[in-house]
Amino acid sequence: MDVKLVNPFVEAFVNVMPMLGFQDVKKGNLSLKGKELNSGGVLIIVGIVGSVRGNVVYSFSMEDAKKIASTMMMGMPVSELDDMSKSALSELTNMLTANAATSFSNMDMLIDISTPTLLHGTNVSVKMSSEQVLCIQLIANDIPIDVNISFEG
Amino acid sequence: MDAYKVVIVDDSSFSITFIKDILETAGLNVVGSAKNLEEVKKVVAETKPDLVTMDMTLPGTDGLECTRAVHKIDKNIKVIVVSSMMDDEIVKKAKKTRVSAYVQKPVDSEELLNAIQRVMDFEKLFESLKESYYEVYKEAFTDAMTRMAKVKPEMQEEYSNDLEHVSSGITVMIAIIGKFTGRLMIDFSQESARGFAKEILKREPEDNDEILEILAEFTNIVAGNGCSILNKKNSAYSLRLAPPSILRGEHVLISALNFQTDTAVAKTTFGEVKLDVGFKRGEEKWM
Repeated sequence: MDVKLVNPFVEAFVNVMPMLGFQDVKKGNLSLKGKELNSGGVLIIVGIVGSVRGNVVYSFSMEDAKKIASTMMMGMPVSELDDMSKSALSELTNMLTANAATSFSNMDMLIDISTPTLLHGTNVSVKMSSEQVLCIQLIANDIPIDVNISFEG
Repeated sequence: MDAYKVVIVDDSSFSITFIKDILETAGLNVVGSAKNLEEVKKVVAETKPDLVTMDMTLPGTDGLECTRAVHKIDKNIKVIVVSSMMDDEIVKKAKKTRVSAYVQKPVDSEELLNAIQRVMDFEKLFESLKESYYEVYKEAFTDAMTRMAKVKPEMQEEYSNDLEHVSSGITVMIAIIGKFTGRLMIDFSQESARGFAKEILKREPEDNDEILEILAEFTNIVAGNGCSILNKKNSAYSLRLAPPSILRGEHVLISALNFQTDTAVAKTTFGEVKLDVGFKRGEEKWM
């Protein structure tokens, strides 16, 4: 998988997060993972078809998920990950992926994205279809968000 | 054009008459008009139109507030703005308010009718997908299971809702992307997954990975066959699949989407398997 495919997601993060109240936006480490993603927290999957085909999985801990939802809802306290918070987080990943799709189109790669699916539970794992998953950690207001990119080919 | 029911919202009697004339000449059925928010609520609730043409500047209110009022009565009513005002800012706001198209005054009859045709064709296309998709995927599911495992599933229970799903242990999810986006999931318990794999392999599965590969491939076949049939029915759906993701864990909750999905609970010799599929109505991209 080409590492330059990460760039649209980094750009999307830098563009979108400040609009949602996250002023401090940083890029973390890039790593290569196997096809199995584990999480004790929240995972959100967005499907992609077009010039590239695959899935993007956004993951964060449950505590961080609540912090992100709270910031998006103008600081409203979030003690439980309720429907409203889930909807906010899904909308966040929709915005990030749609924004990345625009960057891809500037690279002459046209992609369409799906509605996000959010999951959480105990010892949750997601097995992706590609052998390798590229993971870029992005940090907003000190909250790390893993963006796992699983593209075919 | 089909005789869709239309309500015209405009504060100018001249504009109402002018738009009404264009629409009626084209065969549309103008069922009412409104000049302010109160009238909008009343006329739309009474006449249940398919479509509303909406002016932006209205006394004591605006087109956006009135659009929200229309959607509060029925979110499936399409709103097309017909206004002299048109700039990036207001178009952006209109999109956010789920306006389906924007036509600038002075009204060009062809432009307005084209916009209506486009919006209503999209609506019709979704209705036709909604009518057929569940039976198509259910048949693809039954067919694939019968062929691969030589086991005919019996549908025990069928329902539709927009609630969160609790995974039975292993859920394979595939996103469907095209003119409309959707999601297909097939849900197994550990036991039904192993039993299903065993039926297909005619032996005990070697390990968990072998089971998961079979489940992913099965789901891929069901989703792929279903989409091919739908695309053959109408190529405008242009449905495509993202690769499958296999979700596992203890008490995994899978979010509801903001649309209804249909579920079939199938009883088989090796246990229960659930099929769940749905599509989002959505709005056509414009401008």
